[in-house]
Amino acid sequence: MSSTTQVRRSGRRWRGSIVLGAVTVAALVSACSGAASGPNGGAGDAAAAPAADAKLTLTVYSKFTDREYNVVTAGLNKLKAKFPNIEIKHEGQQDDDKITQSIRGGNPPDVAISFFTDNLGAWCSTGSFQDLKPYIDRDKIDLNQIPDAVRSYTEYQGKRCAMPLLADVYGFYYNKDMFAAKGITSPPKTTSELFEATKKLTEFNPDGSIKVAGFIPSMPFYANFAQYWAPNFGATYLGPDGQSHLADSPEWKAMFDFQKQLVDFYGGHAKVEQFKAGLGEEYSADHGFQRGKLAMMIDGEYRTAFIKDQTPNLKFGTAAPPVLDSKPDRYGGAFTTGTIIAIPKGAKNPGAAWELIKQVTLDTATLVDLSNGLKNVPSTKAALTDPKLEVTPEFKTFLDLYNGGKLLPNPSTPIGDAHLKAVNDFAEKWQAGNIPDMVAGLKQVDAQINDELAQKRAGG
Amino acid sequence: MTTLAEPRHTAPASEPPKVRVRRQWDKKLHWIATHSVGIAMGVIFMLPILFVFLTAVMSSDQALSSNFWPKEWHFENFIEVFEKAPLLQYFGNSILYSTLATFGALVSAIPAAYALSKLKFRGQNLFFMLTMAAMMLPPQVTVVPLYDLWVRLGFTGTLVPLIVPYFFFDAFSIFLLRQFFLTIPKDYLEAAKIDGCNEFQAMVKVLIPMAKPGIAATAMFCFLFTWNDYFGPLLYTGETRDSWPLSLAIASFRGMHHVEWNLTMAATALIMLPVIVLFVFAQKSFVKGITFTGVKG
Amino acid sequence: MTSTLDSRAVASPSASTRTRKGNAARRRRTVFYFIAPAMLGFLIFFGYPLIATVYYSFTRYDLINAPEFVGFDNYIRMFTSEALVGTAAYNTLWLVIVLTFCRVVFSLGVASIISRLKSGVGLVRTLCYLPSLAPPAAATLAFVFLFNPEYGPVNAFLRMVGVDGGLWFNDPAMSKPALTLLVMWGSGELMIIILAALLDVPQEQYEAAELDGAGPVRRFWHVTLPSISPVLLFGVVNSMIFALQFFTQAIVAGSAAAGAADVAGNTRFIGAPQNSTLTYPVWLYVQGFRYFNMGYAAAMAVLLFIVSAGFTWILVRQLRKTQHQEEGG
Repeated sequence: MSSTTQVRRSGRRWRGSIVLGAVTVAALVSACSGAASGPNGGAGDAAAAPAADAKLTLTVYSKFTDREYNVVTAGLNKLKAKFPNIEIKHEGQQDDDKITQSIRGGNPPDVAISFFTDNLGAWCSTGSFQDLKPYIDRDKIDLNQIPDAVRSYTEYQGKRCAMPLLADVYGFYYNKDMFAAKGITSPPKTTSELFEATKKLTEFNPDGSIKVAGFIPSMPFYANFAQYWAPNFGATYLGPDGQSHLADSPEWKAMFDFQKQLVDFYGGHAKVEQFKAGLGEEYSADHGFQRGKLAMMIDGEYRTAFIKDQTPNLKFGTAAPPVLDSKPDRYGGAFTTGTIIAIPKGAKNPGAAWELIKQVTLDTATLVDLSNGLKNVPSTKAALTDPKLEVTPEFKTFLDLYNGGKLLPNPSTPIGDAHLKAVNDFAEKWQAGNIPDMVAGLKQVDAQINDELAQKRAGG
Repeated sequence: MTTLAEPRHTAPASEPPKVRVRRQWDKKLHWIATHSVGIAMGVIFMLPILFVFLTAVMSSDQALSSNFWPKEWHFENFIEVFEKAPLLQYFGNSILYSTLATFGALVSAIPAAYALSKLKFRGQNLFFMLTMAAMMLPPQVTVVPLYDLWVRLGFTGTLVPLIVPYFFFDAFSIFLLRQFFLTIPKDYLEAAKIDGCNEFQAMVKVLIPMAKPGIAATAMFCFLFTWNDYFGPLLYTGETRDSWPLSLAIASFRGMHHVEWNLTMAATALIMLPVIVLFVFAQKSFVKGITFTGVKG
Repeated sequence: MTSTLDSRAVASPSASTRTRKGNAARRRRTVFYFIAPAMLGFLIFFGYPLIATVYYSFTRYDLINAPEFVGFDNYIRMFTSEALVGTAAYNTLWLVIVLTFCRVVFSLGVASIISRLKSGVGLVRTLCYLPSLAPPAAATLAFVFLFNPEYGPVNAFLRMVGVDGGLWFNDPAMSKPALTLLVMWGSGELMIIILAALLDVPQEQYEAAELDGAGPVRRFWHVTLPSISPVLLFGVVNSMIFALQFFTQAIVAGSAAAGAADVAGNTRFIGAPQNSTLTYPVWLYVQGFRYFNMGYAAAMAVLLFIVSAGFTWILVRQLRKTQHQEEGG
């Protein structure tokens, strides 16, 4: 017979055995798999606290680095007062992706700390973070010592799977020298006032490029995110039916109109982008605001620490962020998010992990120390009023905002931050002038968010 | 094989003097033109690397500005990167990953390539086709179940999932070695077999010594690929800093939330150094090796 | 080329038959041992994952809890409701076409120049090859830095000669071209391959063409190109596959361009600006590993596999053709 026939015949035989082999391997692998990794901690059990002299090592993952890392490590080590033989291994620079990866990979840390609440819903709904209710019930923790808004971003559909570890509040910063130079006596309270102030404070170079910008509208950039602006416009994401409803929300429209107003004032998106590209890194001493290139901005309370550390001669003031003209009752409110701390699924020492969490989130002295070191807002009411809390006048603004009762956080959703990406993508395109019809564009955003939500809903 | 000699241009034997002078002028101009372009090209290619090096010795502030030339020369940056991050440990991880993977690739690929090139068996073509298909397959296609598999086996967070596959099947190495082995005439192997060797001995005693350049080239390709591999380590060792190889470590030069560009570039320069040294010394084999992927058949 | 010791040659009965069978069996065993690790590896690391990916594509799976069967939902979603997969596919296709073309043409151009150099060949060759040795993440960061519109040296130089450089990585229309430049810079490997092929073109053919009166362009078209076409084809398909897998540079450039003060490669900011650097593999990774939609990611992987299998088939066919030509000739 010809060689081609032979090859074809043998090819068929080999092909058969390959498929058979692959299927066998697949069957073997799924058979040996068994349950997913690690001790589960049980759906309803609180692991016992370790003995006072227990000797073990707790692993903690967080995203802190350098100065902040040292502050947090010192705070974590306060646990040794109660449990002198527990070693705490604090690993910094672990972002959300890595935390998720470690849980999936079956070797998670005992305690996970995240800067962002964005992924809490996803972690909660998949069971990646353990339910803390049994611990809270067992130790009779009173959660009322934590403000409502902060409590809401650490739980998903009533299930509490994280505790807040200090909070962030996003307020309004302005350059006092520049205000004085242009004769502006008080920080703007409404968006129209903000726009007027921007016009006065902006300076252009002879060639038309921006030299100093009053208030920059670019998203996402520095702390300009759609979600940080939204509370000042009263804009929310999900309607009572749990579906996204940006397209029929006048608040979102007002916000994006305002953004466009600013871009047009500067002379177009390209100019703004060019200016933006020359601004320094967000946390370096070259930050645009700290270098006097931005007159006003929205940023978190931690910025006061960076300014004090990097550019202490800057004369700046803080205030409640300006709100939409038609929503004066929103004044005194702000966006809040915060650092969260949780016990991942599969943690080796959940009982000890809980003790550590209790220590850093509820112990007033520890919270005050952490707050003073990181210049974040302490998350319990007791810590807020503690005399040892260092409060500069600029920092006080944020405490007032925090206590004001008008805080708005992101909603916890099972889709992680997919909705935030959708909205910020829209903002990015919108400010570049690439969306001719706002409502149609927002409808697409709604569709995108609803599509992601639908992924998580079905199947129960 | 190719001698990499330049195409020389020889003039015809007899010519009137005017034409010859003209031709010589043309040749000179041509030489100047070609070489200027060549030099310019070389410079342009090197510029980013030069930039990496210049930024590496700048101060932290100046690295964020648009000056090209360092105001002060901070050679200590190269030392500082070792203090900032455990570069030696990452270096060790990279060495471990690359050398073990290369060794494994050779051990598994040489027999396979031998079989593909020197033996005849049923399904040979199919096997070759599968090898080519695997070579072209984007890793993202197989990443989900493979990751799942390694999770169940408990090896995520280590370099094991990256190294082990090379001991079984590295498509590119098999392909490349096959191309090399095809150029070695069968007669030598036949002679060995007449002397009483079996296939394995023939392979070891005859083929491998003869194919040394090809094997060296394959080894270098494997080493380079694993040295610069980013996606694999990101997936499997991302959350375990101790296991990071250098290619991931680039990410770790951050201070207080911002990227320290000068240190990042210093680390980049250091990471490139071993492979550059390797290339400079082993240029000939490397280049020869590359030409064999050139699909002669 | 058949072996002179082909044991399928002249057969003689009984004792020789047994020896022949013995030889054949021994040969099969040899072959088996030689390719066993490879076959096993193929099964475990390619065969099994391919089948499993197809399986997972029909499930909803977050890699933490057990997968749950949902039929064709993922595929329906991919082709109808999911918003960014179209953008991702477009970006990758753009790269497949533009990157391939630029990479091959550029490599050919550089190789041609090097082939004409009479002195300094080794040096120039080394300089052109070195960039391809750079780790992709670091090279991308360096390029983003170099092309920063405000303080990067490229725009500074362009400003000196009176040209407005543009926003490069910060402009959605320029980000992919900027990435293409990055890839072209690093295509030293392809340059060397083409260089070797160029040097292999028989000198006589050039001389013959010149005697026929062909100018340099026609010589290139009729002599050089046909001679190096297998290599060019290899370059084309290799570039296409590279573009289909384009991950690291896209993800690093996307997050760096967003000014993200983040770990390079972190997926919190991807595709900046305006999702122009969101390639298909990046979106696959984000859907699966960040949004916990493993089943959907598997469906995306199946589509990617079909497309790259198509390209592979073309290359294999072309290779076999040249192989037959060489063997026949």
